Amino acid sequence: MTNESGENPIQTEGDIVTCRKLIRNVTSAAGFGMTDVTRIVTAVSELARNVYVHSGSEGVMRWQILDKPGQIGIQLEFEDFGVGIPDINQAVEAGFTTAGSMGMGLSGVKRLMDSMTIKSDVDMGTTVSITKWGRAK
Amino acid sequence: MKSMEHSHSKYLSNFDNWAEQKRFVDFTDKDVEFLKKLHPFAVEYADTFVEKLYSHLMTFSETKRFLGDEKTLMRLKLAQKSYFIDLTSGEYGKEYFNSRIKVGIVHQRIGLSPRIYMSTYCYYMQLIIPHIYGNPAFDADTAKGIFSALYKIINLDQELAISAYIHATDEVISRQTEEILEMSTPVIQIWEGVVAAPIIGMLDSSRTQQFMERLLETIVTTNSPVALIDITGVPQIDTATAQHLIDTINAVKLLGSQVIITGVRPVIAQTLVHLGIDLSGIVTRPTMASGLKVALDKLSIKVIDSSKE
Ligand SMILES: Nc1ncnc2c1ncn2[C@@H]1O[C@H](COP(=O)(O)OP(=O)(O)OP(=O)(O)O)[C@@H](O)[C@H]1O
Ligand SMILES: [Mg+2]
Repeated sequence: MTNESGENPIQTEGDIVTCRKLIRNVTSAAGFGMTDVTRIVTAVSELARNVYVHSGSEGVMRWQILDKPGQIGIQLEFEDFGVGIPDINQAVEAGFTTAGSMGMGLSGVKRLMDSMTIKSDVDMGTTVSITKWGRAK
Repeated sequence: MKSMEHSHSKYLSNFDNWAEQKRFVDFTDKDVEFLKKLHPFAVEYADTFVEKLYSHLMTFSETKRFLGDEKTLMRLKLAQKSYFIDLTSGEYGKEYFNSRIKVGIVHQRIGLSPRIYMSTYCYYMQLIIPHIYGNPAFDADTAKGIFSALYKIINLDQELAISAYIHATDEVISRQTEEILEMSTPVIQIWEGVVAAPIIGMLDSSRTQQFMERLLETIVTTNSPVALIDITGVPQIDTATAQHLIDTINAVKLLGSQVIITGVRPVIAQTLVHLGIDLSGIVTRPTMASGLKVALDKLSIKVIDSSKE
């Protein structure tokens, strides 16, 4: 059951719901505990919504289950081909937003996950990768 | 209730791409000419065909059910006859297109399955083929051409009817989704001066608008100083949901009432902290029952357990 992976498009608001549902199922099945599942799904919700709201393009979520002895993990990648982020450091600051919302998404995801990396080029698109490890049951 | 936009269905064929659909099956002017050759025979035999088809349909309980009384049956037969004659009329423009779309929509509405619809076409073919290949008026090449043209036009017909059928089903689903949405965020008065709104599932943008409207309306009509929003059934809260909640709370404040958020599970509280969302200005309680207690205190209502008096 290791090395499971898959992807889901992010084109409509409904796709955000599908992404959440998918990752809730995948992480529960992989053996993550309730708290971690909720954290991961919340992060998924944030990043999928960012693609939908900010990128101005379609995107995709890719996921892969990881394993190390005694541990389970998941790696997720949110890629879009949209407007990109001019200043990544600024975007990750709590409270920074260009959309008049809370601006807490990226900073929150960073705290919810073990790691988050952002690659972005203006007018080319953005890829946000996140990883979370948990104890195997 | 606001109705959603359904006009841009991804399923329904539109007339703009019908020319392309014809090109897809290679339906050309030659085919039109071939079909016209069959037309006089179609007109001549239309009544016989329709009778044969209906007596065949009458032998199945599923179809018999739809054929109804004598009057309905007459009407259906007439419709079937003109449908059949149109097939070879040589006119395959907008009027033809619309009539085929209508067939799909009507069949979906009355609940006749595509299975029956498709097999009826097969039966049609069985009835017509002897009049093509066994017809002394057509030489072998003409018969071949007519057969091929008929096959194409029937395929085009089927595509239109089926896509219309799916579109009609799609509309039913959207309507139901909207109804479920409405039902899934009820707002109820649970005490004189207290309304409660249990939220089940995620509070997405489309739902928030509806929910907020209903909550504010109920607060006004029941003249309630306190509203309990219960989030026990919310699987997780992200920044967008939190923003929606905060907007709702502020709108309620403008009415001079107060919101108490109940059913805040530890997992949710934790993620909110991680997200850096500050709910310190908001009264929260772990359960609806404890929230109700706060509400009653605020209204200076005492509930007395009469068994302990
Ligand atoms: N995929 C993306 N493409 C383009 N810009 C992005 C993308 N993701 C984030 N951004 C930019 O980074 C900013 C910060 O994102 P973040 O998720 O932290 O806050 P937000 O989405 O504005 O508000 P919140 O997530 O709190 O509702 C956004 O306002 C936007 O300008
Ligand atoms: Mg965001």
